[in-house]
Amino acid sequence: MKKVFGTYIRKRRESLKEKDRQYSLRQVATRIGIEPSLLSRVERGEPTSLSELKILSLAQDLGEDADVLLALSGKVSSDIQEIIRKRPQLFAQLIRDLKNLPDHAVLRIVREVRDGKW
Amino acid sequence: MANGKKEETMIELDGDELQFSFPEVHHFADMSISFQQTLRIPDDGTDYPLPPGFRDFPLVHVDDYSENVPYSWIEHGGVMLPMYQSEGLWTCFSGRSHQKTMPECKGKKYKDSILQFPEYPFAIKVATGKINALTGDLWNERLQKDPQDYMVSTEQPWLDGYCVEKGIIRQFVAMPLGAGYTAEEQLTGGAQYGGLQIIAYPMKKESYERLFPPREKPVPYSDECNFPIDNRKICSVKENMGLAPGGRMKQGIFQDPFSIDDWDMDHKSRCFVHIVNSLMWKAITGKNPPNLPLLAVHYEYYGLPWFEYYDENAQPIDGSKKLETLKSVVEMGKEKDPAPLPENESVEPKNIVELFNELANNQVREGTGW
Repeated sequence: MKKVFGTYIRKRRESLKEKDRQYSLRQVATRIGIEPSLLSRVERGEPTSLSELKILSLAQDLGEDADVLLALSGKVSSDIQEIIRKRPQLFAQLIRDLKNLPDHAVLRIVREVRDGKW
Repeated sequence: MANGKKEETMIELDGDELQFSFPEVHHFADMSISFQQTLRIPDDGTDYPLPPGFRDFPLVHVDDYSENVPYSWIEHGGVMLPMYQSEGLWTCFSGRSHQKTMPECKGKKYKDSILQFPEYPFAIKVATGKINALTGDLWNERLQKDPQDYMVSTEQPWLDGYCVEKGIIRQFVAMPLGAGYTAEEQLTGGAQYGGLQIIAYPMKKESYERLFPPREKPVPYSDECNFPIDNRKICSVKENMGLAPGGRMKQGIFQDPFSIDDWDMDHKSRCFVHIVNSLMWKAITGKNPPNLPLLAVHYEYYGLPWFEYYDENAQPIDGSKKLETLKSVVEMGKEKDPAPLPENESVEPKNIVELFNELANNQVREGTGW
């Protein structure tokens, strides 16, 4: 997992660096507030990890989707965790039900206005 | 979808519109209902033209705020919207025409042809506090033609209030439930429900296909193939509020031109629309309510348009004797409160725009400049 995340970050950063030198390892690390050596270890997939906040900053800096980067690093964003924690059975069941649906079908999920007793 | 019931009749919330669809009845059986924020017309005995719509009231599922709303609301289900005390509202019914391109009709003169399918008709009943807004009767789910207790979506683009006389309604005005002003309280003596209740029945598939055949429209080569397929949409504290009769307004509620047998009574969708006092909206939802709309006197000062709607082929129904006897907010206020409606100054609308059914697709009933 860490190796995949690190490789993805490095490729993306180096791709950006070809057009803009601001994407050197040192400058990216400085912008997101970590030591360049830490970012270097992350990119090599060494046993270390970034906090959710730093991954969000990294996603923003590299123009990547924050949820994708979090998933690659083996994390789920805290707001999604909070949503699931509020109704754990409902969302666990929903996610299991949706697991095998194709993307276009998931995107078409609609929510019914519930009618009650009146 | 997760439970595999995709084709069931249902109401969805799409932005701030209730979307009704009946795919099991007909592929084209869909329509939307929205609730427009409008200015409150003066409650002074004058028959005013139609006021504008400023914006859709925001709608949210009551289930999303189950910790902050009364238990009875969860029991009722549905959605909720915010209104300030003494604010006006009108309901907008929007159908949608559909089209199919027929490339086989391609020829020398036309690049292809389009079949236009007229919007699907619905019979719609609207109640406030479970009091029918056309008859004043207690809520029931049957369709009744005499006296007519429902509207036909293809004939009636809007409903602004209670049908008190032929061609005259009294505007829906929000008042706190329990203060005695609402139609529900005046007619039943109770303050149990508040809000709005809506039920819609689609036309039977066979009736639609018999009465509304598609129209073929050839597309010349010079055209850009951009037919206007839409739209009949002539438009785009205490927490619990109800609706009360406000000022008088010229609006016909049109007779059903179809047979009662054309309506598909086996299929229906209904929704309870709760009304939250705007002052409580943020506490419940965390979102800001819309700003207060312009007062009628300021609207008129700026010369902004009022509206009159004509449909030469449609006949208005009679008003309800029960609803006619209701006291308006101002009349009731004389017994209860010296000023239930602040800023009730009379106006003389000068800029009146005439709207006609079936004439143009780009007619809108919207206010601007506020």
